[in-house]
Amino acid sequence: MARDLRLDFFRGLSLFLIFIDHIPENLLAYGTFHAIAFSDAAEVFIFISGFTAALVYGKSLEEHGPLFATAQIYRRVWQLYVAHVFLFVLFTAEVSYSMLVVRNPMYADEMGVVDFLETPHLAIIRALLLVFQPTYLDILPLYIVLLAAFPFILLLLRKQPLLPLALSLVLYVFALGRGWAPKTLPEGQSWFFNPLGWQFLFVIGAAAGYSRISGWWPFPRGKWFTYLALLVTAVFAAASLSWTIHWLYDPFPPFLAKQLWTHTLDKTDLAPLRLVSFLALAVTTVHFVKRDSRFLHTRWVRPLIVCGQHSLYIFCLSIVLSVLGHFILAEFNDGIPMQGAVNFCGFAGMIAVAYLLEWFKNANRRPPGTRAATQPAIASE
Amino acid sequence: MMRHALLLAVLVLALPLGSEGARAQPAPTQCAAPNELLDSDVRLPELAKRLRARQPITIVAIGGASTAGTAAGDGEGNAYPRRLEEALQRRHPGVPITVINKGVPRQTTDEMVARFPRDVFALHPTLVIWETGTVDAVRSIDVEGFAGALESGIAALRQQHAEIMLVDMQYNPKTSSLINFEPYLDTLHRTADLQEVYSFRRYDVMRYWSDSGRFDLVDVPNGRQAALAGEIYRCLGERMADAIDHAAR
Repeated sequence: MARDLRLDFFRGLSLFLIFIDHIPENLLAYGTFHAIAFSDAAEVFIFISGFTAALVYGKSLEEHGPLFATAQIYRRVWQLYVAHVFLFVLFTAEVSYSMLVVRNPMYADEMGVVDFLETPHLAIIRALLLVFQPTYLDILPLYIVLLAAFPFILLLLRKQPLLPLALSLVLYVFALGRGWAPKTLPEGQSWFFNPLGWQFLFVIGAAAGYSRISGWWPFPRGKWFTYLALLVTAVFAAASLSWTIHWLYDPFPPFLAKQLWTHTLDKTDLAPLRLVSFLALAVTTVHFVKRDSRFLHTRWVRPLIVCGQHSLYIFCLSIVLSVLGHFILAEFNDGIPMQGAVNFCGFAGMIAVAYLLEWFKNANRRPPGTRAATQPAIASE
Repeated sequence: MMRHALLLAVLVLALPLGSEGARAQPAPTQCAAPNELLDSDVRLPELAKRLRARQPITIVAIGGASTAGTAAGDGEGNAYPRRLEEALQRRHPGVPITVINKGVPRQTTDEMVARFPRDVFALHPTLVIWETGTVDAVRSIDVEGFAGALESGIAALRQQHAEIMLVDMQYNPKTSSLINFEPYLDTLHRTADLQEVYSFRRYDVMRYWSDSGRFDLVDVPNGRQAALAGEIYRCLGERMADAIDHAAR
């Protein structure tokens, strides 16, 4: 069966939107998923990551057994971990440069908690243990932890897909209701993405992806379900859009904001409204964008698809580029032309590197052909 | 360079007019900020009534390190609450106006709400200036908790019939790479908006001063830091007085 380009397309799209959202005060951020839903690109990224992980490693589990699949997964975990450490080093370089200002007493008293450069030995250990998560470096630790637990999820999925879903739901409920979350240092700080909350979305994605292997769909389906999702999507879109307009233009009334707005804020634990909003949006999307949809083969979406197919590299690159872009905006000027230039250069950089990786992959695969048996599966996760 | 020269000229020319005792007041134009940054539909009716009736007015400024204002030297003497008091007294001669400084460094919104009974309610203020958000952002408290703490604080103040002015974070072009203030600024402004509370956009005002070259917040020589803080606090006091006069008209 041909590759489902929708996965690549939407993952590529979420990478672009994460890049946009990571640049503070970026005007384009008003046009991301958040403008029309309570969820944003992070949900898309984690869901599709779960989906493709189940697809790729599920196949590997069928063909080569649990030990091989686990080894493959941990090879990926290692890559992600190295990427995280690399990004941490880059981040530290930028922060060291900005640190001088914080010595100014006008800011020092307030910002004193950002003193990790005063105790670099602790900061480095914390970063290696994934508990130090400065801005930008929050989604990779989540992904690493989720993938590290994935062999277990995969074995449960193979046994009975409802089993991991039920366990995962229980964990999610405890994370929401009882505030279960991993401990971090310094005390009082928490993971920006609580893995105990976000694992639910990842497992939902994995269960959906695994259905392509097992042939059994563990979720409701049928017309009523689709219509319900369409309705939820429409109502949430109307509300979100009215809020977006209201925050930009005060006289426009925000629809349901007093009732709903605070309940959409909890991104850390994946607030139920965000989850529902994302799932409804996903069902709606699948309803309108079919697997053989013609637009997936048009020239304009090709760059996004290529980016989505090399998501780890492009994700890391997008973090580096957004840190760089932010630095340029803060250092020189943050007018609208400059913002436009930074966004454009960021997109161009991501697309160029994705095409380079694509070319390299194809060139590598061609002549000898001996190692091709295992290589594509890893490269396409 | 050109702009700096111009600014210097304005400053020197304005000095003889604006000087007040030993401490030179910054030129009025240096403190200026566009009206769009200060305007709001929210009113302060009780404060307005008391101003008109010339009744005594107590204002409590509760907040963090930048409210305590020790960075400008002389304890609280150069902090923005004192400057606000001076500005309001100058604008409303004959009305006994006191601004009480309750700034305590490094507290989250939740921790400030916890000291409301002792530091705010006991003083029966007409207006409470509540400067918060920085420490929540620094400690990356989740924004939902931040919004919840703001809402509960606003509800508690309203129950005591105090009028409220929220004040957001200080701006510096460099701090944004250390801390992402944006979600916290958005949350503070949006909570204020939905709760119909006045929010004083200190971040945007200071940013305007920085962007337009009125204050250089980055390259400050060591010996100048306290003086700069003092000037900024004075200007903030003036603009807050504008905001209060605007909302209490």
